[in-house]
Amino acid sequence: MPSDGNVPDGSEPVRRGPTEAGAGDEILQVRRLVKVYRGAATPAVDGIDFAVRRGEIFGLLGPNGAGKTTVLSIICTLLRPTSGSVTLCSQDTRQSPARLRGLFGLAPQEIALYPSLTAWENLHYFGSLYGLSGRILRKRIEESLALVGLSDRGDARIDTFSGGMKRRANLAAAILHSPRILFLDEPTVGIDAQSRNLILENLRTLRNGGTTIVYTTHYMEEAETLCERVAIMDRGKIIADGSPRSLIAAVDGCSNLEETFLCLTGRHLRD
Amino acid sequence: MTTLLATIRKELLELRRDRAGILVLLVMPMALVLIVSLVQDNVMQATGETPIRVLLLDFDGGFLGRAVEKELRADAGLELVSKRSGEITEEAARKAVVDGEYRFFILIAPGTGAALREQVRRRAEDSFVPASKPGKRAAPATVPGLTIHFDPAVQGAFRTAVVNSLRRVMLGIELREKGAALSDTIERMMRQGPGGGIPLPPGENAEKPPPSIRFELDTEPVLKLGEAADSGGRSPGRPTAAQQNVPAWALFGMFFIVVPVSGALIRERQSGTFRRLMTMPISLAGLLAGKVIAYVLVCTAQFVLMVAVGAFALPLLGTSGLVLGPEWPVVGIIALSAALAAACYGIMVGVLARSYEQASVFGAVSIVIAAALGGVMIPVYVMPRSMQAVSVVSPLAWGLNAFQEVFVREGTLGSVGPNLARLTLFSLATLSVAWWSLRKSRYGE
Repeated sequence: MPSDGNVPDGSEPVRRGPTEAGAGDEILQVRRLVKVYRGAATPAVDGIDFAVRRGEIFGLLGPNGAGKTTVLSIICTLLRPTSGSVTLCSQDTRQSPARLRGLFGLAPQEIALYPSLTAWENLHYFGSLYGLSGRILRKRIEESLALVGLSDRGDARIDTFSGGMKRRANLAAAILHSPRILFLDEPTVGIDAQSRNLILENLRTLRNGGTTIVYTTHYMEEAETLCERVAIMDRGKIIADGSPRSLIAAVDGCSNLEETFLCLTGRHLRD
Repeated sequence: MTTLLATIRKELLELRRDRAGILVLLVMPMALVLIVSLVQDNVMQATGETPIRVLLLDFDGGFLGRAVEKELRADAGLELVSKRSGEITEEAARKAVVDGEYRFFILIAPGTGAALREQVRRRAEDSFVPASKPGKRAAPATVPGLTIHFDPAVQGAFRTAVVNSLRRVMLGIELREKGAALSDTIERMMRQGPGGGIPLPPGENAEKPPPSIRFELDTEPVLKLGEAADSGGRSPGRPTAAQQNVPAWALFGMFFIVVPVSGALIRERQSGTFRRLMTMPISLAGLLAGKVIAYVLVCTAQFVLMVAVGAFALPLLGTSGLVLGPEWPVVGIIALSAALAAACYGIMVGVLARSYEQASVFGAVSIVIAAALGGVMIPVYVMPRSMQAVSVVSPLAWGLNAFQEVFVREGTLGSVGPNLARLTLFSLATLSVAWWSLRKSRYGE
């Protein structure tokens, strides 16, 4: 059980660490966000607030069905919120979604690539849609493939790739246009340790280059080592947020983020 | 524009990689055209049991029209509509056939009945000649007779059956008239006494017993049946198997693009690619237009190959080939319109279907239904009336009617315009449904 006694009943989230940065330093602000799907009895997202600062890696954690993907979909202009607001790069996503779409990149949970096309052809297509062309497009494709360790496999079809290579190619497509903020939905699920390690290294490289990263994961160890801050979601609410270290310290008897996560969200199955 | 071009390129690249899919798309319809055209070369006939609507223009207004009408009404295979002079013009009747209201019309010209009776009377009299002076009779005259005007799209064996049936009717009427005329002549001859009123050669005594009279039955029909070139007075010939089947099955093959188009969209949605695309700074309209243009190009390639099979492969196999004729640009425009309709319909199915199974089964079955309704498998005019009414909503019917207008009736861009407009409206409507459905999931559209 948490030491401060206000979790995990969900009524008061744990707040540990510098969650309130200056407004000018925040690239993403989510305010009182609510999403109720048609016909659903309970909201998928239930009035959450959080902010992400420029240049940080922010982890959105939670069990299955917690609402993480719904939050990412709303931020990425794929879903309309029922209420609340999302401000990205100082602009409300509902006011100017078309303009904002060029500022962020998304690597969906699925391998969102065309399997019968080569990695190069996939990146060429997506790069063209981002408005890149000619030499600049070719340079960005080469850089993206190099970053994910696929320089020598650019001419191979995606359906010949291993799971780890597909994940890396999926990431390459999201960073092709040098986005200011990168959203990653479970970017390391189902791949070997080597590919996961390479992807995490890539994310640090991108962060060091100034890219803000928001990502969801089920791997707590990964989030603990990579993220400056995390928010733990459960049943559509944020039940805790802060730096991994501060969250671990706030819950009695927990020595790592996974134990803290289980203490906060419970051990029962979420199907 | 970048979205459009990039999407066209990507779709074509994907298709090129799917060699089995390309084979299915291009080779199967070609095989279909080849086989169906060969199979139907000698068996193009209407086998339906639905009555065929026929128009009888009785401009004679006498016994002949009544007799023809009575005989035709006795035929359960025909639904006869009879009009007199003043009720309709010959030109209006031609238009009614071109518009598909009737499959053919029969014209009885004014005075035909009277001319028939006069000719029959003369022939009856000429049939009795003195045995001593057989002489050489004058060639029998004929009367204008009846004229039948077919819709050129009516298939060959069906025409033959109709013409033969009508000839039997006319022969029956003529025989009755001949019988009556003979009866009258014999009665008159008997009343006129020995010699029967037949002029005797000089020197022969009228008091002598009557000379022997030889009866020569004139078997030459008096009433002729003429067949007009076509209902619209434009086409010189009848449709061949290739003219019927190549455009019909080409359309069928083109519309089957709905399966790969919808499948590609479903795969994009299931793989998350579409989700990625929707987060990109592109317009939904541009994305859809790119897909449509790519698949229109594929459909057009399909059509060109199928026409090539009809024009060059069929003659090599001993049957008549497809002749595009001077209006080939109009054929191209029809093909493009049909390709556009097929691609847009495929996009709509792909957007609305929830799974690949739904899309492939619904897409394929709906095309087979539309093809059946549209007259690809059997001509619309032999369908039950209710099905004929439904067939007007089939895009394949619009395409097929337009092709037949050009191939069979020497139609022009103007005459196929209404069907082109229907195909274009169908394309816009289906694409709009797809766009509207997708934009719900993405705000800012």
